[in-house]
Amino acid sequence: MKATARCTIVPPYLLVRLARLDDPRFAAAAEAARQSLLRDIPLREHRAAAHPLPPALAVRAGAARQRGRIDRSIWDAVGLERLPGRLLARAEGWPPTSDPAVNEAHDGLGETHTLFWTRFARDSIDDRGMPLEASVHYGRKYDNAFWDGERMVFGDGDGQVFNRFTLSLTVIGHELTHGVTQHTANLTYAGQSGAVNESMSDVFGSLVEQHARGQTTAEASWLIGEGLFTEQVQGVALRSMKAPGTAYNDDVLGKDPQPGSMAGYIDTEDDNGGVHLNSGIPNRAFYLVAEALGGNAWEAPGQIWYDTLTGGALGRRVDFAGFARATEAAAAARFGPGSREHAAVRSAWHEVGLGLSLPARAPSE
Amino acid sequence: MKVIVSRSGGIAGIRVTWEVQVDEQPDAPSWRELLDSLPWGQAEETAPEPDRYVYRIRCAPHEVVLPEPQVAGPWKDLVDRVRAVNEGR
Repeated sequence: MKATARCTIVPPYLLVRLARLDDPRFAAAAEAARQSLLRDIPLREHRAAAHPLPPALAVRAGAARQRGRIDRSIWDAVGLERLPGRLLARAEGWPPTSDPAVNEAHDGLGETHTLFWTRFARDSIDDRGMPLEASVHYGRKYDNAFWDGERMVFGDGDGQVFNRFTLSLTVIGHELTHGVTQHTANLTYAGQSGAVNESMSDVFGSLVEQHARGQTTAEASWLIGEGLFTEQVQGVALRSMKAPGTAYNDDVLGKDPQPGSMAGYIDTEDDNGGVHLNSGIPNRAFYLVAEALGGNAWEAPGQIWYDTLTGGALGRRVDFAGFARATEAAAAARFGPGSREHAAVRSAWHEVGLGLSLPARAPSE
Repeated sequence: MKVIVSRSGGIAGIRVTWEVQVDEQPDAPSWRELLDSLPWGQAEETAPEPDRYVYRIRCAPHEVVLPEPQVAGPWKDLVDRVRAVNEGR
């Protein structure tokens, strides 16, 4: 062996594997690999060397953009809390990798993009073809997924309570919808407007899954985050839009606290004023609209909610009552005042305790 | 002296609380040193980010609410230590 051999660096893919090791016996090696990745040469250099742009992609870069064309990048954060991550794991046009989290994120962004583009003619998050970015393997045993204003970020879960967060298509759709909301109504993420923001993400997250599976309202689970809990947890999902408060009931986690009507509204300072709790109320209203209309929820119900989100009439700090009125107005605008769709929306809000916008007595009834 | 860390929010919206009785810790002096060094009352108001955690940290007479991105430096050290004690690590 030549003397120069000792200068050989550990290949990046091996460092990534080492950095992810959870076995306490290899804790030192894993930490060393993480440190090494941190001070490594810029990753874009690895990426250029390892994955030259496919010809189709290189040609496209110079051409005028075509509306509705998807452009995904999935990054691997290799257990660090730094974004976007250390490695570009999969870009548009690259083949699947051996990492399920990377492929699930890639496919989930695809399904989400497809719903918004084919059903609502929305060209990505900003309606101007914004590239879709996701980072997976964020943090160590990180029990969360979030939208940081630019990208979706997914943790691996701790393995005891939570599995990896890319497992649920509704969660991927949920995160991407936060981006759509940010670029449209930009609802303030606190109190009731925050709960409407959350509900929008649940509504379109659920629609992404229903659309991908070809499920009607009657066939769909209406669950958010199904499969995220490990088998050790007594629960099926994070939330149920159809029956808020019933998704889990576990001796460690407690019971799903979501209310399904204003009678159970939770006043709290936690969770930015209960944005993930009170979202159960508008979630159920959406489900009730879908149930009343039947068929595919991404059609009339999804269209009404999409019109409301993007129509420009919602104030950033809109409350539930204001949001309810805005959906009624959107339904009347698209389907006509007094239409079946309009009536379904009014009746749904009434059922969840937000029927104040209804006249005390309908004049002709 | 007791430290209480409660974490709410996250996409799951599940609240978790961890507590530590500082005086019962074998390294109580180092806990007190850390608690005294924290910049209580200096938290900045920032716009919340979707699905990120919110931490409420209490140690009478102090209480602070910090969005996850602000839980860094000594705050992160504290949260990690409180969790480690609770999780038996």
